[in-house]
Amino acid sequence: MEKQPGKQAATEPPDSGAGGGEGEPPQVAGAQAARPEDRLTLLLRLRAQTKQQLLEYKSMVDATEEKTPEQILQDKQIEAKIEDLENEIEEVKVAFEMKKLALDRMQLSTALKKNLEKNNPRTSVLMDNMKHVLKLNKLIMKSHQESWDLEEKLLDVRKKRLQLKQASESKLLEIQTEKNKQKDDLAVMENSDKMKTIQQNLQMEIQITTVIQHVFQNLILGSKANWAEDPAFKEIVLQLEKNLTMI
Amino acid sequence: MSVLRPLDKQPGLNTATILLVGTEDALLQQLADSMLKEDCASELKVFSFFSHLARSLPLPSNVNRPRIDLIMFVVNLHSKYSLRNVEESLRHVDATFFLGKVGFLATGAGRESHCSVHRSTVVRLARTYRSPLLFCDPEVDGFRAPVAQRLVRMLQICAGHVPGVSALNLLSLLRSSENPTLEDL
Repeated sequence: MEKQPGKQAATEPPDSGAGGGEGEPPQVAGAQAARPEDRLTLLLRLRAQTKQQLLEYKSMVDATEEKTPEQILQDKQIEAKIEDLENEIEEVKVAFEMKKLALDRMQLSTALKKNLEKNNPRTSVLMDNMKHVLKLNKLIMKSHQESWDLEEKLLDVRKKRLQLKQASESKLLEIQTEKNKQKDDLAVMENSDKMKTIQQNLQMEIQITTVIQHVFQNLILGSKANWAEDPAFKEIVLQLEKNLTMI
Repeated sequence: MSVLRPLDKQPGLNTATILLVGTEDALLQQLADSMLKEDCASELKVFSFFSHLARSLPLPSNVNRPRIDLIMFVVNLHSKYSLRNVEESLRHVDATFFLGKVGFLATGAGRESHCSVHRSTVVRLARTYRSPLLFCDPEVDGFRAPVAQRLVRMLQICAGHVPGVSALNLLSLLRSSENPTLEDL
């Protein structure tokens, strides 16, 4: 059938108090002087153990008394339920720890109070500590206040900067719109009919003047007069050479 | 058909018993030895069962066996047979045992190349049975002592030798470290 080399190894309870486990005979090893105390510790330990074991059995009995649901739940639902129950357990544990902490604090404060009443309150080290703590607390509050003020100032400066930025933005916008308006007006003016008629008139006048210039030039050339000698004459002839379309 | 039940026998005074289930004799022997070497105020009894049959957790009912406080299923990641063996012996353990009195120990995770069982398989197994999973490398001597210490401490708690902590308490304490992987999976 099965191979069952069940190995059983028992270790002796360490009566010598050194913690045993090597299998030596501790009782014989002469711890007789310390025996009653060790017996006492052993008894106390056994008491604690039996208490704990009793608690475990009681809780098992309570657990079996509870009704288990008869319907067949699916895996996921069971797992969800298990997790819910575990969360409940954790919450209860945490609440218990908090209460224990609060209780400890209350006990500590009452003990402290009694101690203070007993001792001379002016000379004890405790009072010095408390005064130091108070001083530090005042310092902390002061520096908190200062930092708060500085933060307020910073905030104000930032607000102002934002306002300035917004003002400059609006100004620039205005400038841009003005420029655009000017450009539009110019374009409109240039394309209007008045400008066209003016331009046509100008062209006609230029042509007439050019024709007159040529007529004068030919007159002077045809008269065969020496116009290079007289400076005033020369100036007039050179002026007639000016091309009026380039102006 | 014998099913292992917790709390069906009276506890021995100042004794705690652990049951190691696995297929490798030498490993279990080593683990048992290092556990016994541990400094412990109460008596330790280590039962190792080297079950070669895959059918049942062999528990002869004629043996006068004390109450078992903790069962550790040892899975060797190098062999699929040990995993299968453990899975089949799990059937013969009562459901109330899994409220903190069962643990899984995976060995041989150090050498990845030799592992035929993937780590996640064992993790999933531990998750389905909602039991803690420990890892151990038996060859390295330095690893065996801390694992033995942990096992001894767990055994003490499961046997009720530590006032104020129960097996279920320990289970919920151990669980919170596993939760990140649960959300991943």
